[in-house]
Amino acid sequence: MLSTVFLLGLLYAVFVAILVAVHMQIGFILVLAFGILFVQYFFSDKIAMYSMGGRVVSREQQPQLYGVVDRLVALADMPHPRVAIAASDIPNAFATGRDQKHAVVCVTTGLLRRLDEPELEAVLAHELSHVAHRDVAVMTIASFLGILAGLMTRMFYFAGLFGGFGGNNRNNNNQGGGQLAIIELGMIVVSAVIYAISFVLIRTLSRYRELAADRSGAILIGQPALLARALVKVSGEISRIPTRDLRAAEHFNAFYFAPALAPGASLSSLFATHPSLEKRLDQLAKLDAEMRHGAA
Amino acid sequence: MGFLDAILGRTKPVEANLDRLFGLPGARITLEAAEDVVPTGQAGVCFKPSAGQAFDATEREITAMLAAGDGAGSSAKLSEKADEYGYRWVVVGAADFDTLVTQVHFVNSTLKDNGYGPQLLCSVFGFAPAAPAASGHPGSRATEYLVYLFKRGTFYPFVPTGHERRDNEAELRLKAVLGEDLAIEGDLDRWFPLWELPVE
Repeated sequence: MLSTVFLLGLLYAVFVAILVAVHMQIGFILVLAFGILFVQYFFSDKIAMYSMGGRVVSREQQPQLYGVVDRLVALADMPHPRVAIAASDIPNAFATGRDQKHAVVCVTTGLLRRLDEPELEAVLAHELSHVAHRDVAVMTIASFLGILAGLMTRMFYFAGLFGGFGGNNRNNNNQGGGQLAIIELGMIVVSAVIYAISFVLIRTLSRYRELAADRSGAILIGQPALLARALVKVSGEISRIPTRDLRAAEHFNAFYFAPALAPGASLSSLFATHPSLEKRLDQLAKLDAEMRHGAA
Repeated sequence: MGFLDAILGRTKPVEANLDRLFGLPGARITLEAAEDVVPTGQAGVCFKPSAGQAFDATEREITAMLAAGDGAGSSAKLSEKADEYGYRWVVVGAADFDTLVTQVHFVNSTLKDNGYGPQLLCSVFGFAPAAPAASGHPGSRATEYLVYLFKRGTFYPFVPTGHERRDNEAELRLKAVLGEDLAIEGDLDRWFPLWELPVE
């Protein structure tokens, strides 16, 4: 993960250097990008809950679920997150919230229906690990570059369109006009390239965070095999759901426990938000072997 | 767990704090005076079993040692139960409260020494009314429990009064009473209920 983060940082630096070199006035865009991100971060719990239809439930409504969460947070020494349920038959779970004190963990009715209690606990341990790792903050900061570059691409493109790509400049200097056009075109390309690279890097980071949450979750419950079992069950169930439902859920994949992908969807592994099932099971199997043959 | 560890996704399992348990004998005296309760003679240790033979071996070690008794003439009773959430309880009994605390400490430290500190959830000690309805309290009073949270190193009172109901008023009163003897958990959200306690 460090190399991914380093590359992202490098990309930031290169982008800023280019912008400075061409004397860009990017103050406004920076503020806009920062503003978008801040709102996304600060209200991440409300945004996620609203878009996935999650509703907070009380202890009286779901005593069993609360019991499982209670013990996990006591074991992990974390503040108790809000617990929510989303009415969807796709079995899945997510955790969101800007920090540990504003965290919310949500499971779908489909998950509650299909998993038995130890498997549910394993999934919740994975989700709580996301909260503990401050994944919302990390991914938000990482995506800042992507949003900035994306915004700039659009801005330059439209500025170029309306400005006639250097044709309507105020200087009467023809060479100046030509130069401006080249710079504008160049900036579009640069921004687009930066956006593409940052996209790939962010997805790589996302996959790493998923593996880290798998690992921490498995250690928390002391049973990697249980998490593996839950993972297989959820992934297996997802592939049985008619494709139409899944396509509705696909764009929320980054939040989910397992990506809601229709079978046969050939998502290039570079763009995947989650590591492949094999990779996750592999890590869990190694962890299980470590735990069995050595003291923790 | 440090900030950097969190960011890098390397959660360190939280270790258990064993020492605060020894505040209990003092707390018991306060409780006897203020609440008119005596120890029930039973206590439980709750932990999450880990996968593997290493863990099973540790459990057998604990069972063997407790069954052998500490030779001081205490009637160390013991049972092991699994609860509905997949956690395991080791329940110990001793007539003498200080011995009980020592036994619980023994279970905890054996688990911790073998590297299973992070699996420890809590310890529970029961206190029952000394003479029911004797001191003018109405009706039959509930057993009061003190739950020790290993990861926080703090206690909280728990007074179940029936099927999934608890006496919050009594718990808050106990918090006030024991505030000086024990480190009571300040965050009320962490006073989670333990229904169907296998400890008397």
